[in-house]
Formats: sequence, C-alpha cells, structure tokens
Amino acid sequence: MTDAVNDMPGRGSAYPRLNSTLRHALLIAVCIVMIYPILWMLSGSLRPASELFGGEAGLIPSQVTLSAYPDGWFGLQVTFGRFFANSLIISVLATIGNVLAASLVAYAFARLRFAGQNFWFALMLGTLMLPYHVTLIPQYVLFRELGWVNTWLPLIVPKYFAVDAFFIFLMVQFFRGIPRELDEAARMDGCSAWRIYRKIILPLSMPVLATAAIFSFIWTWEDFFGPLIYISEMENYTVQLGLRSFIDSSGTSSWNELFAMSILSLVPIFLIFLFFQRLLIEGIATTGMKR
Amino acid sequence: MSAYDAIEGGKSAARPETSGWLARAIHRNGAGYLFLAPWLIGFFCLTLGPALVSLYLSFTDFDLLTSPEFVGAQNYVRMVTADAKFAAAIRVTLVYVALSVPLKLAFALAIAMVLNRGMRALPAYRAIFYLPSLLGTSVAIAVLWRQLFAADGFVNSLLATVGIEGPSWISNPNYSLYTLVVLSVWQFGSPMIIFLAGLRQIPADMYEAASLDGASSRRQFLRITLPLLSPVIFFNVVIQTIEAFKAFTPAFIISGGSGGPINSTLFYTLYLYQEAFSYFRMGYASALAWVLVIIIAIFTAFSFLTTKYWVHYDD
Repeated sequence: MTDAVNDMPGRGSAYPRLNSTLRHALLIAVCIVMIYPILWMLSGSLRPASELFGGEAGLIPSQVTLSAYPDGWFGLQVTFGRFFANSLIISVLATIGNVLAASLVAYAFARLRFAGQNFWFALMLGTLMLPYHVTLIPQYVLFRELGWVNTWLPLIVPKYFAVDAFFIFLMVQFFRGIPRELDEAARMDGCSAWRIYRKIILPLSMPVLATAAIFSFIWTWEDFFGPLIYISEMENYTVQLGLRSFIDSSGTSSWNELFAMSILSLVPIFLIFLFFQRLLIEGIATTGMKR
Repeated sequence: MSAYDAIEGGKSAARPETSGWLARAIHRNGAGYLFLAPWLIGFFCLTLGPALVSLYLSFTDFDLLTSPEFVGAQNYVRMVTADAKFAAAIRVTLVYVALSVPLKLAFALAIAMVLNRGMRALPAYRAIFYLPSLLGTSVAIAVLWRQLFAADGFVNSLLATVGIEGPSWISNPNYSLYTLVVLSVWQFGSPMIIFLAGLRQIPADMYEAASLDGASSRRQFLRITLPLLSPVIFFNVVIQTIEAFKAFTPAFIISGGSGGPINSTLFYTLYLYQEAFSYFRMGYASALAWVLVIIIAIFTAFSFLTTKYWVHYDD
C-alpha cells in the first residue's frame, strides 16, 4: 500500500525538522491520553465496588477481583447473555441484508443500463444527506400498524431494502473499478446479468463486501436509537439497551459491574478492529466514512 | 435470452417482438430494474413515502392514537414564538456544532500532519488514534464519560492530586455541554484518516521546491498544504457538521434522557425524541424533524456557496 511510500524518510520534510524523538514522545503522549480512559474503565471493572466509588485515577487496582463480571451479567432480571445473543442475531441479519441489497443495487447502477438510471442514481445520492429523523415517525406508525413494535423486524427488514444508501455508494465506486472486459466477455458467452453478478462481480469484490459487512455490523451493534424506540420488553433488548437499563437500575454502588458490562459490550467491536483494521482504515480513507 | 442483447441496440430490432413498445421496454430495462428493485421498494415505502407523510404530519396535531388533526402552520409558529425548550435545544446544538467540529478537525489535521512526515510506526499510531472513533457512539463510551466527569470521577480525582477541587462536571449546567464536546474531539480518528489520505496526494517535490526558494514552514503550510488539502477539509467539515447536528446517544446517556441539567445538554435530536416518544406529540416532532432538515440544508448550501472562495480544485 501507500504506507511504503509514506514510510520513506524525508517525505514532506520541508517543515522544520522536529526532532524525531520529540515527535514520537508527543505522539505517544497523545496515544496515552486517547487510550487511558478505556484502560481506566477496564481496570475499574476489576476493582471491588467500594474502591471505585472513591474515584481512583490510577490504573492498578489495589485488589483485583473478577466478581463484577458475573454480578453484572446476572444483574438485571434478564441476563446479559440474552442481550448479547439478541444483538448478535440482529447485527448478523442486518449485515446480511445490507450487503445483499446494496450489492444488487450497486450492480444495477454500476454495470447495467436502463432508462432513468441517472435520475435514480441522483435520488439515491440525495438520500445520503437526508437525516433519518424525517422518516422516523411515519416509519414508526407503519411498523406499529404492521404489529412490528417490540420485535426486531424494524431493525432488520429495512436493511433488505437498501435504505442505507451509503453502502450502495461504496459498492458502486468499487464495481466501477472492475474491468468491463470481464463482463463483456461473459456476456458474449451468453451469461445472464444474474450470472455475471454472481460469478464475476461478487467474487472480485470481496474487499468492498467485507468493508461494508464490517461497518454494517459495527453500526448495528452500536445502534441505540433504533432499539430504544422499537424494543420495549427486556427479553428483546440489545446490549446497548441492557446497559442503559443497568445505569437506571444500579445506583452509584455498582459502577464496577456497569463497567464490566460496558467492557464486554465493546469486545466484539474491538475484535473486529484487531482483525480487520486495514479494511476499516482503507474504507474510511477511500470513501470518507463518517466514523 | 438475456436483457443484455437489448443494450447492444440494433440487435433487438432484428428479433421479432411479441408486442409493441411495452415488451421492448421490459426487454431493454428489465434486468436493471430487477436488480434495482430492493432499493426502489425501500425508497418509496421507507424513505420518500414516510418523508411526505411526515411533512403532512408536521401541519397536524397527532398523538398516535387518534387520527391527525390539521392545524396549519401552528406547530412551526409555536416553535419559534412560544417554545423555550426549542430555543434551548437550538442553542445547545449550535454551540456543540460550533465548538466540536472545528476543534475535532483542527486536532485531526494537526495529528495527521505530524504522522504524515515519514513515520516508522505510522500504522500503529493511526490504529490507536482511530479506535475511539470506532467505539464512538456505543452506550459503553457514554457510560465511561459519565463516570470520568462525575463529581467523584476520574477527572476530579486527578485534579485532587494537584490540590484542585473540581466541580461535578456533568451535573453542572455550566460545564455539562463541554464534556460532550471533549467526547467528540476525542473521536478525531476518522477525519484524521481522511486527512492523511489527502496529505499523501500532495507531491513531496512541491515542498522541496518551496524550501529551495526559502519559503518558511508557515508559508508552506498556508500556500501549499491548506490550498491543496482544501477539498478534503471541505468534505470533512460538511460530514462532521451533519453528524454533529444528529448527535444523540452521549447526551441521552449522560443526562439520563432528560437533556439536563437545566436543558444544558438538550441536543436537538434528544428534544425531538422526547416530543415524539415521551409526550407523543408526533405532529410537533415531525415539524422539528423538518426544521432539522432545513437547518442542515441551509448549512450545506452555504458551505457549497463559500467553496469558490477557499476550496481549490486543481484540475
């Protein structure tokens, strides 16, 4: 990647050369400030409740205990195991929907020709800027009429209709980069549009499909607003809603348990970050993803 | 037979068509519309339709249980003339946008420039700086923030070590909003990555030539870096501003859903949520949603209008 170029010494070296050691010291200091709060939360989850209550700035607990994890896990009338399972199911189904629908639609925009194509494309881009608040209330009324309130359907089904134009845009950009000769040759051999999509475009698009899947998963996992509006029974809660209930139900006395559950809720995202960091960063750099 | 044959133009004319223009149109466009179908259904049923309905609802009184009652522009009039909470929400949101976006972007650009200069460990730094913006809107991070800035939280115990007794940041209306600004700045990672990508596009020899001509580093920053990076800056400003207008979760968690203390963290979207789902004033909430659209549209249009003064597209 371009990292190689960037790692060459002296690039953009016109600025007065800040001593390299000093520069690293500065960056490491910023890193520590960035990461410290998360580590502090981790260490808080390992402390006994009494100790944390005093507000301790250090990272090393005087006494390490894992008890906050089981205590927090079973701290509400529904266990966090249930919330994790719910979040996982919703996120996986939503991700499949997003990737499937966005890739179909992006294929139409990037590779097929049909009347009104540019018009629809412009409309699709227009919806990128539209805040979801404008559709919020009528959608709520619609899903309520369908009897979907307090089910996961409002969080999943819309993704199968490619409502998040962002993913379409991301994939259109990628599909346009695939050499056209490939599908032209396939077409000469009598391949249908569907076969070209399945056998040529999709296999060549694994990086963008993975990027879209990762972002889709993380965003659904972190989503708070959707579940807050649609899910009312604790049995159906996502992890994010579970955490919120935990804040309400526990006083200041069980901060360590709240921290333990918060840390657990970040684990899936952190794992994705560890394994797919490159895809995430390239995805942002090339498309300007919002987060 | 494939719909592709039709794209080649003349070919389809040679084939005996069953009936007239309709069959030809289907033949020519069928595949495209089949693939487009999921989005088309979603667009009409979940985006355009609901948007139009909410525009209508914004002129009604609607409590979800009885049918909407048309009240003309009353919702909008009440908003600007008789709703102190609306005014508070607008003020809080504008302050949040005006502080968090420039600070976050300035920080992102500064770090990106330090990182851009031939760093050995660049990927490691970049990853660490990016992590907070990925964890970003989780409830867990809002929980963390709540405790960092609590009366007996991390920040105050840090201040205590140097003998300062800090206030309760989140429950003091003078400070609560600023804790949210700090949270937003902490998440500078994703604009930083975009800046880094932009900085790499600037040819190193421009700086070398400028150095040879004796241009100071400040001058190089003003005359080379800023102009060449301006499209990226513009992009980041627009995206981050829209995101800041839409911020919700941190304010909700930190204030316990109230937007307090004394409306000091009453983000616009939080107010909209309260109106719609706590008080079930769905008509009024729809009007709030449309005002948000208008605010964002005005901001975006204004940004685009100013581009000709500061954004340089070279070729």
